[in-house]
Amino acid sequence: MDTSLAIQEPFDLIRLSLSERVFVKLRGDRELTGVLHAYDGHMNLILSDVEETIMIIDQHEGTTGEQHTIAKRKMDMLFVRGDGVILVSPPSR
Amino acid sequence: MASLQGYVDHRVLLILQDGRAIVGIMAGYDQKSNVVLSDSKERVYSMDEGVEEIPLGLYLVKGDQIVLIGELDENADQAVDLSSIRAEPLPPIRY
Amino acid sequence: MLIFSVFKTLTDQQVTVELKNDLSITGTLKSVDQFLNIRLDNIKVLDEARHPHMMAVKNCFIRGSVVRYVQLPPSGVDTQLLEDATRREHVSQAKR
Repeated sequence: MDTSLAIQEPFDLIRLSLSERVFVKLRGDRELTGVLHAYDGHMNLILSDVEETIMIIDQHEGTTGEQHTIAKRKMDMLFVRGDGVILVSPPSR
Repeated sequence: MASLQGYVDHRVLLILQDGRAIVGIMAGYDQKSNVVLSDSKERVYSMDEGVEEIPLGLYLVKGDQIVLIGELDENADQAVDLSSIRAEPLPPIRY
Repeated sequence: MLIFSVFKTLTDQQVTVELKNDLSITGTLKSVDQFLNIRLDNIKVLDEARHPHMMAVKNCFIRGSVVRYVQLPPSGVDTQLLEDATRREHVSQAKR
């Protein structure tokens, strides 16, 4: 597929990712992967078969550096409000 | 429409962006979901002691400060012994 | 407008709304407006022991701007229809 012709503005990239698995980075150290079914101009999204990853950074006094805890959970069908979206990345080919 | 019409003259609980919880009778609201409460009280939650109620009287809350408005079931609310409840205050909204 | 329509089709179905203060509320979707403000009936707060604040609340109005996620019933969502509608909306926006 000649994507250079099809992609003229940022939202074209998201349109071409419809019904494909995408990676979404959100505010609050959250990331999602899921199959994209809908979006709008606010970057509100509807995804299915979603896995969420939350990075929890624990600051321990007296220790150098910080500890990362990773929490994961799965959701079948999810609406994501666009104001939390930092980036949407198409599937790697 | 997700209107507030049904809540007028009812006892409601407001949760605000900063985590505060306020109960009162909804006297009125407008298009921007600004809300006027009468006979309102703030409910202060803590882990050390029971819920403290601070009277606020007639209170105007700006719509953009509101997280949630809940209709209180009067019987269920009166059945709760606030002095026995220990809980962290609700966290503030983080964007 | 598209997402608003999706929520309208889910009226009377069970959803879980997760707020930006980490509160999760399950209930029956009663109505939604163009700001995606949501009204839920028969609500239940997840982890009620930690969040007793809403114990006596039976139904509520949630401001759209404080929503992080809404978990939808998969059976209520026609994904093919959604994708087609999204493509159509994209075209109509491009023409503006």
